[in-house]
Amino acid sequence: MSVRILFFGATADVVGAQEIQLSPTGGETSGDVFDAVLRDHPGLRNHKLLFSVNQEFASRSEPVRDGDELAIFTAVSGG
Amino acid sequence: MDFYELTTDPIDITSVARRVVPPECGATVTLDGYVRKFTKGRETLHLVYEAYEPMALKEMQKLIEQARSLFEIANVGIVHRLGKLEIGETSVVISVAAPHRKAAFEACEWLIRELKRTVPVWKKEVYSDGEVWVEGDDPKYSLPNSTA
Repeated sequence: MSVRILFFGATADVVGAQEIQLSPTGGETSGDVFDAVLRDHPGLRNHKLLFSVNQEFASRSEPVRDGDELAIFTAVSGG
Repeated sequence: MDFYELTTDPIDITSVARRVVPPECGATVTLDGYVRKFTKGRETLHLVYEAYEPMALKEMQKLIEQARSLFEIANVGIVHRLGKLEIGETSVVISVAAPHRKAAFEACEWLIRELKRTVPVWKKEVYSDGEVWVEGDDPKYSLPNSTA
């Protein structure tokens, strides 16, 4: 299966991309995918991170399904 | 009618304010948020706003629904600007129409506070000697960083 992971602002700068694809083997949670991204991009650990699954704020325990759209970003600063 | 939008065009504040007005209302409170030149003593040349657009629109819609359950208000309009903004340009407009002004003031204050905590929009401050993505200091949702 394949999931997209989106990055914005500071996290896109750290990762050097606005989007990556990962192919979890199945059974992973959102937290597992999150940890895998942080292992590949340890610079993300310098930030307070938020996380979404399919455009909703997510905890670490959401099941991840084929085709899901995940995003990792810093605390929002609009307005 | 409620509305919530993202745009890269300059925002016409008056037209936002007029779009929320229904006949049963007596007051509209409009916030005009714009780009400040000095933040914590440092001079900003301009700002760049970026959004996770589909999620930002969903979160704006949720805020309007929540505001309506909390306050005696009629209509809400929210427009947030994206892209490069110069000093003094409007970045966000929130208009709240209500039968009476007190609820409109309270709802408008609540909406901007919650927008800054939940709607996935980020601002980059550009200075003469560098730039930095601003990170919010009071996010509504937070995730413990991994120890993996």
